[in-house]
Amino acid sequence: MTETATPTKPKKPGVYVCKGCGIGEAVDADALANVAKSEFRIQTTATQDACCSDEGVAAIKADVDAGTVDGVVVAACSHRVMADRFRFNGTPVVRANLREHVAWSQPPGEEDTEMLAADQVRMAITQVQLTLPPLPSQVQEYSRTLLVLGGGITGMTAAREAVKAGHPVILVEKTDQLGGWANKWAGRMPYRPPYRDVQDSGIAKLVEAVKADKDIDVKLDTRVVKTAGQPGAFTVTLSHGGQESVVNVGAVVVATGFRPYDATKLGHLGYGASPDIVTGVELEAMLKAGGELKRKSDGKPVKHIAFVQCAGSRDPDHLPYCSSVCCGVSIKQALQITKADAKASAYIVYEELRTPGTAEEFYRQAQEAGVIFMKGKATKVDAGAMQVSYTDELLGTEVPLAGLDMIVLATGMVPNSTDPDVPVVEPEKSEAQLKGDINPFSAIPVAGYKPGGAEGPTPPAMPHLDRIPEGGPILNLQYRQGPHIPVLADGFSDSHYICFPYETRRTGIYTAGPVRRPMDMAESAEDAAGAVMKAIQAIQGSKMGVSLHPRVGDLSFPKVGHEKCTKCRRCTVECPFGAIDEDETGRPIINPARCRRCGTCMGACPVQTITFDNYNPQMVNAMIEANEIPDEFSEKPRILVLACENDAYPALDMAGINREKWSPYVRTIPVRCLGSVTLQWVSTALQKGYDGIMLMGCKSGDDYQCHFVKGSAIAKERMSKVGETLKSLALEKERVTMAEVSIADSHRVPKVLNEFAELIGGLDPNPMKGF
Amino acid sequence: MTAPLPNPGKKYDLDFARWVYDNVNGGDKMALCMQCGVCSGSCPIGTNMDHGPRKLFMMIRAGMQEAVMTSNTPANCTSCYRCVVRCPRSVPVTYILQDLLAKQAELGYRAKDSNENIAFAKSFWWSARAFGRTDERLVTAKYYWSFGPAEFWKRSMENLKIALGFIKKGRMHIGMPHSVKDKKGLKAILDKAREIESRG
Ligand SMILES: Cc1cc2nc3c(=O)[nH]c(=O)nc-3n(C[C@H](O)[C@H](O)[C@H](O)COP(=O)(O)OP(=O)(O)OC[C@H]3O[C@@H](n4cnc5c(N)ncnc54)[C@H](O)[C@@H]3O)c2cc1C
Ligand code: SF4
Ligand code: SF4
Ligand code: SF4
Ligand code: SF4
Repeated sequence: MTETATPTKPKKPGVYVCKGCGIGEAVDADALANVAKSEFRIQTTATQDACCSDEGVAAIKADVDAGTVDGVVVAACSHRVMADRFRFNGTPVVRANLREHVAWSQPPGEEDTEMLAADQVRMAITQVQLTLPPLPSQVQEYSRTLLVLGGGITGMTAAREAVKAGHPVILVEKTDQLGGWANKWAGRMPYRPPYRDVQDSGIAKLVEAVKADKDIDVKLDTRVVKTAGQPGAFTVTLSHGGQESVVNVGAVVVATGFRPYDATKLGHLGYGASPDIVTGVELEAMLKAGGELKRKSDGKPVKHIAFVQCAGSRDPDHLPYCSSVCCGVSIKQALQITKADAKASAYIVYEELRTPGTAEEFYRQAQEAGVIFMKGKATKVDAGAMQVSYTDELLGTEVPLAGLDMIVLATGMVPNSTDPDVPVVEPEKSEAQLKGDINPFSAIPVAGYKPGGAEGPTPPAMPHLDRIPEGGPILNLQYRQGPHIPVLADGFSDSHYICFPYETRRTGIYTAGPVRRPMDMAESAEDAAGAVMKAIQAIQGSKMGVSLHPRVGDLSFPKVGHEKCTKCRRCTVECPFGAIDEDETGRPIINPARCRRCGTCMGACPVQTITFDNYNPQMVNAMIEANEIPDEFSEKPRILVLACENDAYPALDMAGINREKWSPYVRTIPVRCLGSVTLQWVSTALQKGYDGIMLMGCKSGDDYQCHFVKGSAIAKERMSKVGETLKSLALEKERVTMAEVSIADSHRVPKVLNEFAELIGGLDPNPMKGF
Repeated sequence: MTAPLPNPGKKYDLDFARWVYDNVNGGDKMALCMQCGVCSGSCPIGTNMDHGPRKLFMMIRAGMQEAVMTSNTPANCTSCYRCVVRCPRSVPVTYILQDLLAKQAELGYRAKDSNENIAFAKSFWWSARAFGRTDERLVTAKYYWSFGPAEFWKRSMENLKIALGFIKKGRMHIGMPHSVKDKKGLKAILDKAREIESRG
């Protein structure tokens, strides 16, 4: 990294107003340049036919190169497009959105349209004047090595993939052998064409390959004692036979797999009442032993066997989710039994047979072989009569399968997001640490918030969030927010199965395999490769001092103004990624490589002393104040929309692209995440005379879409307190609201805005105008 | 000869499905039935069946041997093959039903309300043997007559209008029944068939 002179905020920005894409027809570009000149005393202003054209870009570049300008405002299209065109050697560039938010969404030539455009320019100039070009966070000694935890198929595949990509691996396995559960299976569901027959698991070969790989340091009988540091520089303490050692790694892939659901909890399905009622795992062992399948009780050959699917899965009293593999596993086992003995009758009692991927072909094969499939829910298992009763959905009657030789309970998977062999650390806090932050209504203890806020809604019951696999932490993170990798719904370690797979809420630590969602071996192997790619990005990112997903490449990071910090600890508690620790005195210490740059800490800080070089409370405050507020007699209300940059702002842009119209009284400021919104902005806006304020961002809750996991949930929590502020100003509480929108909501956002504008229009003007 | 039922008399038998798979013509293919119901839905006579092929197949899997062996579904099948043509899983439904019917008879089960079918079959075969043709009037009359004079009168009157309509449109023959030329040859063929059948 070549260090240049300390960057400074632009003193002489240039303003370039575009007339292309319909902007010139919609608004008076010269008048906008004049706003810059007269109100902000900007020396360099220009109007261009198309700023993005070669000539347009060259003209700006010439000014930058000549040193005429040290900051650039391009008043043209949204900052979400053409970002590469308007890049001038690190000079701060801010875009005033005159296209999507003005020319394409407002009637041309009208007074309100001109006023909106002028405000866009005012906000952009204010913003650029307060922007420091960010320098990367200090690069530490980083390690290219990956730690992979768990030596099952997922962990071993991850190790191999990392080595292929040029990264050495330390593979830590707590037992004395590699292979995980796959070692115990009597065969594997087909994973290669033609996907019809039971195959060899291939695990032995993989174990050999891993052992032979000189870049994989296999540590058997080893556990992680604790983990400290941040991406690029984790220090992990390992323990092997009572001996501790410390390794430095750049990133961690957690592949701790699953534990089968505890069948002793399935007394209602007869488990424990007869030795001939077994789990799928137990049957695997019997099949693996080879020879004729015999009853445990009396050694008689098994001629009639029934599989009870979803034993403990998809059951609100046990595991509410589908364990994904047990249907395939029962098919596999029934097929093995039927093929070994053509006279045997194998019944599979299922509610829905779930055969993801290629398992459908396997299912057909089992049907052809004569495995008998019965659709219905098992209602009773009678160990005495060895009878499974079920309600046949296709016959509409209760059917008894009596006189069975063996009954198999297809039990599901529980993720190893905790380690059952490790004692729970801080039992009273463990649960909150594991799941607390995913539930928007959970108490955020240190910050002093009440669940649901003072007047907030009653927290709904979210039982699936309450399920935490028993055990202690697997990495024992030395983090302020506790030793765990937080879990998502149902106890799985992930942040969002669809949008952010593999990512945990601890940057630099990625999960793969059934620890993150139920999956089979083939999926696990694929998952391993995905998680490794993420882990390598984390190492690269930490090396360059840039952020990871979703603000990939962002150089800015939060800085704490320690002189003002009151050590209230809100930031350290609320950071969705556990990036902030505390020193002995309680001062927040930010670990930039763990940080995802959401600004939630900034929004949390009651004294606004957390800042980013290019995004901070003071900057947005100034932008809010930069806009012209017409007086109360003008009948031109003003509405401030703080729109999340990840979904809400793009949805608005898309609405503009679709030429949807919305109220010209709306002034939109993009924010990194609703979590970064400080209440100060709201009160500034109210005092400035805005008539309404809307926070527009992603969905919160257990099915959240927030790109920073809990930013929008935290914003909701904070906004529940706005009522008090409004009351103290004698203002109606409808003036401040939140709207949840998704990226696909482009047709809905204009409606949301217009409805709010109508509501605000119905209220008296904000009496603070002109104060 | 057909293998006997593994556990006759049981209402539910775990071995019954296997027995059908192994012993009924096309039974192994029945294992592929995915219970879509296209067969029963396509069947022109499905409304007259107690269960229809789809449900009957599920009953087989559920081991309901008594109910299956006394079902009238096999007897009602007219061998139109619509189900076979349409079944997405290529289950030879018609063959299975025909062979099940044979098994019902062979193992001494009588389809429980198959009297009508038997009466109809008798009338049909009487006409076929006598003329080598089915004469609608005679087949119908003989069939109705098998239920007694009162029923004969009632059913005839109910269908009189339809019959007159047919006659008007030239769709029903009046006069002597048509007949094949070589009645003796026909009889020889039928006798031979009966002989082959009785060989088992
Ligand atoms: C009965 C049954 C049959 C199955 N059959 C099939 C099949 O035929 N085909 C198929 O594709 N899938 C099958 N599956 C699913 C398959 O077992 C899983 O997908 C697979 O085992 C996942 O591999 P993994 O490496 O992620 O986890 P695991 O196999 O659970 O391995 C995890 C490894 O991590 C180690 N570990 C755990 N915690 C720690 C810790 N804290 N520190 C260090 N090491 C740790 C464990 O000792 C273990 O070696 C079956 C599942 C069941 C229940
Ligand atoms: S995979 Fe099948 S048996 Fe397992 S939980 Fe899902 S539906 Fe039930
Ligand atoms: S809250 Fe967001 S910006 Fe602040 S430290 Fe955490 S991840 Fe970084
Ligand atoms: S059409 Fe074929 S698959 Fe569908 S129910 Fe009938 S026999 Fe089964
Ligand atoms: S062949 Fe028989 S069962 Fe099939 S549709 Fe025709 S009549 Fe119905």
